[in-house]
Amino acid sequence: MNLVVICATQLQLDMRRIAFQLAVIIASATTICSAQESPFFVTYTHHMEEPGNLEVETTTTTGIPRSGQRFYTAPYLELEYGVTAQWTSELYLESSSVWGDSTVFTGWRFENRYKPFNREHWINPVLYLEYESVNEASRIQKEIEGGGPDLTSSNRELRGEHAHELESKLILSSDFRDWNISENFIATKNLSESEGVEFGYAFGVSRPLATLASGENCRLCRENFIAGVEMYGGLGSTLGFSPHGSAHYIAPVVSWAIGDNSSLRFSTGFGLTDQSNPVLIRFGYSYELAGFGSKVSRLFGGKR
Amino acid sequence: MKSSRFVLIFMLGASLFGLGQNPSYQLDPEWRAPAPAIARSNPLTDKPDTAAGGKKLFVRHCVECHGNDGAGLMKKHSADFHLAIVQEQSDGTLFWKITNGNAGKGMPSFSKLPDLQRWQLVLFIRTLKAAGSASADPEK
Repeated sequence: MNLVVICATQLQLDMRRIAFQLAVIIASATTICSAQESPFFVTYTHHMEEPGNLEVETTTTTGIPRSGQRFYTAPYLELEYGVTAQWTSELYLESSSVWGDSTVFTGWRFENRYKPFNREHWINPVLYLEYESVNEASRIQKEIEGGGPDLTSSNRELRGEHAHELESKLILSSDFRDWNISENFIATKNLSESEGVEFGYAFGVSRPLATLASGENCRLCRENFIAGVEMYGGLGSTLGFSPHGSAHYIAPVVSWAIGDNSSLRFSTGFGLTDQSNPVLIRFGYSYELAGFGSKVSRLFGGKR
Repeated sequence: MKSSRFVLIFMLGASLFGLGQNPSYQLDPEWRAPAPAIARSNPLTDKPDTAAGGKKLFVRHCVECHGNDGAGLMKKHSADFHLAIVQEQSDGTLFWKITNGNAGKGMPSFSKLPDLQRWQLVLFIRTLKAAGSASADPEK
């Protein structure tokens, strides 16, 4: 019995030590690293997270309703880790708050992106696979597939409908004369329902406002801003492939590297169909922890 | 007391030199730029003042693996930019390597940076040759 108590106490102490060391790693991870983010919220490019770096991002999607829709804001937390130079993993935790209704946790997602070629080409493909465990109250709209989210029902009605989804994307992306041009083709299968495979798309074009870096550490230099535009929407499903009857948006986007490790992104999307919100506002803040993987590895006695 | 402090400083210095730098860096024979890329010249060669911007970019993007002084890190197997085998490479080769990376060896692609910024990085790497042990540390 005493041995069990001693072991439990030791385990508790070890857990406390690890938690403390993790906190120290995060607090001390001030190594300067690239914070220049792609300005897109929906469209993926072929640029991967740098190996060993962890990016923590908080983002909100806010929908301005048209008649019959509800005002909502859907915050989510994103943890992006560069496993290797060709493989990036991300974990999302998301929620939704509907005006006059409620705030609910809507689920989690785990995605992986893999870049098969290790050289730059005219068109760079990236393969994307995501597992989603979300309910139908999810409104973050990281992508739109099928007919888009239900923007009229309440959280109470939607949160009970749980979905296990497998989502794949083909990401094609090119860098041409300082412009990035990216196209994403989306196919999602809801494993909980027999609703066929749903499709969606996202396209984006972006460019830094200045291509030469100044020698000064300035915050408002043009080189710290990337502007662009993205368009995304649903394409129906195998039961009816069509862009009609789905949400579509066109959204000017901008990112600002406010520091060596952190950046802000902003987008105002304009709904193009009756199934869309008239305006969809997105705002994101990200902070990058350089060398996070090797620091955690050392914590557990690794040599990496 | 003084002698123990000296030993401590000596050990710290020795460990930093031995583990921190990578003077034994060898080129990856598989990581070779194609002939047209090797022949490209740096459009900023006649604008040496733009190397200051390259230094800033180096601090942001490169020191994590190559160290503040660009001497490489042994644990990361990253290049020591002071070595002749690095400095003998053409500007075009260095630009190509920064652009494409060497994913299999952990070097990411930096094609997300505009062309001119990658040339600024090349320009700054050349200053490491001239300065010998120039440091990219912003405090220095």
